[in-house]
Amino acid sequence: MQSNAEVIGAKPQALKSRSSLYFIWRGILADRYALVGSLILSLVALAALLAPWIAPFDPTVSFPRLRLQGIGTPDHLLGLDHQGRDMLSRLIWGARTTLFAGITPVFLSALCAIPLGLIAAWNEKFGSVIMRVMDVLFAFPMVLLAIMLAAFMGPGMVNMIIALTIVLLPYNTRVVYVAAQQERNSSYIEAAIASATPTPKILFVEMLPNVVAASIVYSTTIVGNIIITAAGLSFLGLGVQAPTAEWGIITSDGRQYLFNAAHISLLPGIAIMVVVVAFNLLGDTLRDALDPRTRLSLARNKSVPKSDTGDN
Amino acid sequence: MPRFVLMRLLQMIPVMLGVSFVVFISVYLVPGDVARTVLGQQASDTAVQALREELGLNRPLLVQYGIWLWDLLHFDLGFSISQRVSVSTLLGEKILNSLILMGFSLFLVITLSFTLSVYSATHFRKIGDRLAIFGTLVMASAPTFWLGILLLYVFSIKFPFFPTSGMHNFYNPGGFWEVVHHATLPAIATAASSIAIVTRVTRSAMIDVITKTYMTALRSRGIRRRRLNYVHMVRNALPSFVNISGLQVGYLFGSAIFSEIIFNWPGIGLQLYDAILQRDVPMIQGCSLVIALMFVISNFLSDYIVRSLDAIKR
Repeated sequence: MQSNAEVIGAKPQALKSRSSLYFIWRGILADRYALVGSLILSLVALAALLAPWIAPFDPTVSFPRLRLQGIGTPDHLLGLDHQGRDMLSRLIWGARTTLFAGITPVFLSALCAIPLGLIAAWNEKFGSVIMRVMDVLFAFPMVLLAIMLAAFMGPGMVNMIIALTIVLLPYNTRVVYVAAQQERNSSYIEAAIASATPTPKILFVEMLPNVVAASIVYSTTIVGNIIITAAGLSFLGLGVQAPTAEWGIITSDGRQYLFNAAHISLLPGIAIMVVVVAFNLLGDTLRDALDPRTRLSLARNKSVPKSDTGDN
Repeated sequence: MPRFVLMRLLQMIPVMLGVSFVVFISVYLVPGDVARTVLGQQASDTAVQALREELGLNRPLLVQYGIWLWDLLHFDLGFSISQRVSVSTLLGEKILNSLILMGFSLFLVITLSFTLSVYSATHFRKIGDRLAIFGTLVMASAPTFWLGILLLYVFSIKFPFFPTSGMHNFYNPGGFWEVVHHATLPAIATAASSIAIVTRVTRSAMIDVITKTYMTALRSRGIRRRRLNYVHMVRNALPSFVNISGLQVGYLFGSAIFSEIIFNWPGIGLQLYDAILQRDVPMIQGCSLVIALMFVISNFLSDYIVRSLDAIKR
């Protein structure tokens, strides 16, 4: 304990050179839930990337004689679907499409929201116009807006990704806007203005790193939700189109065979749930790791960094 | 308070106008010609022209919006292309059905998550609390469309306690309990993820209250634990409970769409799905608009409730 004063005195300076990755890494190691989450996600991501090599069969090849066979069929561990396609292979290939369709919109919307939110926070007139437009989009339930946009644009993965990006944009922009407004009043920005730094440089060099953290934190908490929404759109027939293997489509395919082959619908939902649980476990830790207020405690205590009160 | 209500009602007008404009303008996302898309490639040019005329597609954009809005204020949402009936007549009867499902789901969210969070907070870090935390984590991560199918499979097919679809018994319709019987599974599917989220947030708020110094002071004055938990803790955590419940209403509207589709609940969500399958543009517009407006109104109501609770506190 005697080194406490020393640590408090010395650490913050040393901390300045640490990158955000360091805190993320530290946070994940310190929290076993986050460790489990990242382990699951790595496995799923690996399976998705290596799908052509590890999937036992082609996801579109059918074995008509074995159609609707349940879990535990010889050679087909997780059974076969209504067209006699191997479920395990379809799930592994489905991980590719589902994860891609769920994660891409989060990236794209953050990419659009960061400049939009920065400029909106800088220029008040532009900002108030932008935020009024966003207010209108907030008036829609997220899923409804996604369904409506995707329905009008027509089915297809690209259209679905565009729709989800638009849906996420107001939420992400608000996060960036609020963060940038706080930064705007801080002294380093004042100093930059005083030394006649050009505005674009202030926004995209000085302010950007501090705002990006807020956006990333928000993105990690929302990505599970977007994966569910994307799978839901495909379930409705608005997203990825059959015969492509995608978890939402497989669930939808199985609906008519609930009486004799419930595994078709139930397995992909379990896959979605496991991935989303993993993202949610990880999201909490990333939020702590990237939040300047809690990251100090992460660096100090190698053990459990969380306050006593909260899992949430 | 009346002033607050009036202000909020006035603020709702631009939001509703904005919502209607977004719904109106979204039609331009339809690739190519709306009329052609609706009628199909083999339709004759005269038929396409007639439909363009009917939909008012030949006029300037703002004029189109003005006419559309004027019609909307007279509850005229145009004609459903696939069913050749007025959209508003068709939706009118579905709104009540959707509201019944929503109301039931909201009831489940409020009662279950409140009970669960009180239990969890009073058993902080005990086995029950940990189970609740794990359970809510899983529940919050389950997609509604899958959960609905799971409930349908387990409680309607494997163990037929509940009907698989619809809202009434076809042969002998009527009665409150019959609707409840039909609504139970869809309402659980709709409410599940919201129950989970509300429980987690409320539990955190209650534990926050427990660790406050005034609670220690109360405890040291010899106030019974039961009174501490059920009066002081609950009362101080109530605003965040109401707040998060209000925020969840938007999710409920979204999840209800999926529940209605899976359980064939004759509401607006199911209507929207049918309209999407048939590329029925006015119908998609009508359904989206009605759901969005219900959402705006429910936001107003939850704001009002949060506000009035604050007043009690003061």
